[in-house]
Amino acid sequence: MGFDRRTFIQLSVGGTVGILFTPVLWKALDDVSIWTQNWPWIPRLKYGALEDQPAVSKLCDSGCAVKVRKVAGSAFGTEGNEDSPLSKGGICPICANAVQVMRNPNRVKGPMKKVGEAFEPITWEDAKSMVADKLAAAKGKVAFISGDQTGTANEVFSGFLAGIGSEDYLQMPCDMQAASRAYNGVMGGTGQVAYDLENSDFVLLAGADAMESWGPTVANQKAFAATHPTGEKPTAIYMLASPVQTRTASVVDAWIPVPEEGMATFLLGVAYHLIRAGKYAGAADFGSFRSMIMDAYAPGKVEAAIGVKGADTAALAKQLLAASDPIVVPGGTSVATATAAFAVNMLLGSLRKVSEFPKVIQSAMSTSERMSKDLLTWVNKGAAPAVAMVYEANPAYSLPDDFKAGFVVSFATEWDETAAKADLVLPNAFTFERFDDMQNPYGIGKQTYSVGVPVCRPTLDVMASTDFILDVAASMGINLGFDSFAEVIAAKAEAVGADFDEASGGQYEGSYSSARASVLGASVLSRAAAPVRGNGAVVLAPYSQLIVGSQNVATTPNAPCVISTNVLKGGTLVAMMCSATAKKIGVSDESKIKLSGGNGEAAALVKINEGVLPGAVAVPLGLGHTVGDEFSKGVGDNVYKILTVRSEAATGATVWTGSTVNVAKM
Amino acid sequence: MHMKEFKIKWGMVIDIDKCTGCGACMVACQVENNIAPMTKKDPYNYVQALTKDRDDADNKLRTLTWMNVYELSNGKSFPEHEVAYLPRPCMQCGNPACVPVCPVVATDKNEEGGIVSQIYPRCIGCRYCMAACPYHARYFNWWDPLWPEGMDKQLSPAVSPRPRGVVEKCNFCHTRYAKAKDQARENGEDPMNLAEGAYVPACAEICPSGAITFGDLNNPEHKVHELAKSPHAFRLLEKLGLHPQVYYMSKREWVRKQGDNYNAGDKH
Repeated sequence: MGFDRRTFIQLSVGGTVGILFTPVLWKALDDVSIWTQNWPWIPRLKYGALEDQPAVSKLCDSGCAVKVRKVAGSAFGTEGNEDSPLSKGGICPICANAVQVMRNPNRVKGPMKKVGEAFEPITWEDAKSMVADKLAAAKGKVAFISGDQTGTANEVFSGFLAGIGSEDYLQMPCDMQAASRAYNGVMGGTGQVAYDLENSDFVLLAGADAMESWGPTVANQKAFAATHPTGEKPTAIYMLASPVQTRTASVVDAWIPVPEEGMATFLLGVAYHLIRAGKYAGAADFGSFRSMIMDAYAPGKVEAAIGVKGADTAALAKQLLAASDPIVVPGGTSVATATAAFAVNMLLGSLRKVSEFPKVIQSAMSTSERMSKDLLTWVNKGAAPAVAMVYEANPAYSLPDDFKAGFVVSFATEWDETAAKADLVLPNAFTFERFDDMQNPYGIGKQTYSVGVPVCRPTLDVMASTDFILDVAASMGINLGFDSFAEVIAAKAEAVGADFDEASGGQYEGSYSSARASVLGASVLSRAAAPVRGNGAVVLAPYSQLIVGSQNVATTPNAPCVISTNVLKGGTLVAMMCSATAKKIGVSDESKIKLSGGNGEAAALVKINEGVLPGAVAVPLGLGHTVGDEFSKGVGDNVYKILTVRSEAATGATVWTGSTVNVAKM
Repeated sequence: MHMKEFKIKWGMVIDIDKCTGCGACMVACQVENNIAPMTKKDPYNYVQALTKDRDDADNKLRTLTWMNVYELSNGKSFPEHEVAYLPRPCMQCGNPACVPVCPVVATDKNEEGGIVSQIYPRCIGCRYCMAACPYHARYFNWWDPLWPEGMDKQLSPAVSPRPRGVVEKCNFCHTRYAKAKDQARENGEDPMNLAEGAYVPACAEICPSGAITFGDLNNPEHKVHELAKSPHAFRLLEKLGLHPQVYYMSKREWVRKQGDNYNAGDKH
């Protein structure tokens, strides 16, 4: 039988029909599509029982109350804790990524000591005896730098420091410190100033980027949300005075452009109208305060100093007077600004405070004592302790000036600039792997206490720094009254009156009380409130976004996709300025420039943004790490290094408001 | 064009006047949906010396942001300038542009709830859907999803990681919908009549400023039902007739005007 045309057609048609009807081909195609997507390097999911465990996440400055989401006992994410007044179901962008930070390969995997330029592993026992020996040899010349604003851990460390004869317990510069020094120092009050945003009907944010980086951002946003119900009439007015239209500015009812260094002047300019309207404050120096305001802060003088029109301050004062529960919230590290804001609040009768919780370690410092020492003043006086210990802070990165010490111990959880510089790195257990707590996060409106218990088992050779110090204290014969931090936390929770159990932590909510300051700070404000600027071409207006990171925490793994090209572009930080400023210094959109000031320089791309005060350049803090993972290391430049530190007149606080830089085209 | 109607229509009303652009929703979305951090090096690429690095997050054309927050400006000079933030998930259009163009039916809108599906193993990566979507809500995996060492120890059980060559998008955290329905069945309740809050996507849940309200647009007991009818509510590119299930709200007229893009000088 030959192979003719008919046979060929029969075979072709038969074959086509056969292929169409056989499942083999379709199954094979299906398999191909599945198996070409099924590579061994693509992670498989693990399934199991789902659970949520309440915890505290102390990555952001104020801390977030979260629930750690687990599957089959293993954490994979976080969600808000609806039962917590700090969260009410929300979380900040840093703590939203907390589990990924915990699993980051950049974590310090075990205790390390520096040998030459490299690090070598060391056992915890050897580390304890090494630290004890160094401390004994230091004879009291020991400093402790803490970036933890809210934890009872500070009691352990400051109590221990007192035991070895040192008072150099230093807090990283923060807004809380400025407020504490203003209220407890300048104004003679006691306690922590509280801002009851939830119940205020008029909120003036004086430099406080409350919805982005100031204070308990999540609680602030929740308070804002509650007074601005979707689809209904708002029950409060929010205003922001700042040099840059930050993210807070995108939602407030009005933005008032005010230079950062002129914020105290601006507030005293508002006080002028309040006093003219007959407002009075029961403080010993009210007479001199009144005279100072009338002499130096009349509308014309304020406009000449900071460019804010008298009509604007008058209108603002009118709104403050019309409100039933107004509040002014200062931001920044200037003690003068905080004092001016509190003086205005006193005139309005709305200055409130929360009392500190009782200490459980008697030799420890109180919160206000902790906040009273100025770290940068101490550094610039040439302090050179034999031993410096650093906890939850990265001073080598975020201090504009370098600190020196004979022997540096870093309790870093992740490798950072300070850990790389340290002689001994003793990894602290991650926030979900240890007992920790948050007492009255600064900015909160009422007494708040949250306790977190370990909800994740450590997978690395880490140890809670509090337990480490308690062990060292015991070996040196210093009795702090507790053997473990778990006991400290249990005692604290009891002293506070919190509903606490060792399985799920606990919390306590109290109230606020009216604050009573003996003076308004007239003698200090008369010297400290005037704006001071450097001599450079433009004023720096540094701003923070949690998505970029904080003083202590670098950009988290999932954050880079979120960071805007108005902050970082092509690996270079973006300097925003309005068109008038750009024209004045001869640059345009996308120009590559170099900003020089302080102790360094930073490369930047220009972005025209009409939401920046003329004469100012807005730059993001938190970039330009030199140590860390690929999400933060070598990404942009470090703006902290181009800030110019100065001592604020009369208050002695180190501030960098009014820092200027020179601009060169690249 | 014929539009499929559903008894349940999950939707969002996003109050732009409350969104601070903080980005928590974008992070929560990545964690919930196993979107890997962008890493430059690929440890499985054994000829790395011969190939260039993977893109990092700086290249916004390569990032996977199912939820993306855009910055809006009123375009005025200082001091009249204003800024706003607009979070953009998948619009779950009533009349989706992406569905009819898919040659392999990897995306469809056929389930009660009106969520536009995306079947990853079926997707052949042709990207017609991406070209069709006017909201840029669809993303192509240019690279395999690789987590830094140890970070993939425990991923979210909600959704499998998608390989290189596949298009993906927001599905209103569909696993949460399935779970909420299961929970309702367990409780002896009607899974087709979920109470407000029983099903909430990760972005809406985490949002600290409560800018995102989520619910069934067809259910009068859900807040979104009324909010979507507000005089301040609008949808993006409404003139295209895709009928998005995501609504926005703003009292600011300039924000509402930017909801539909017009050429400068157009009358509208």
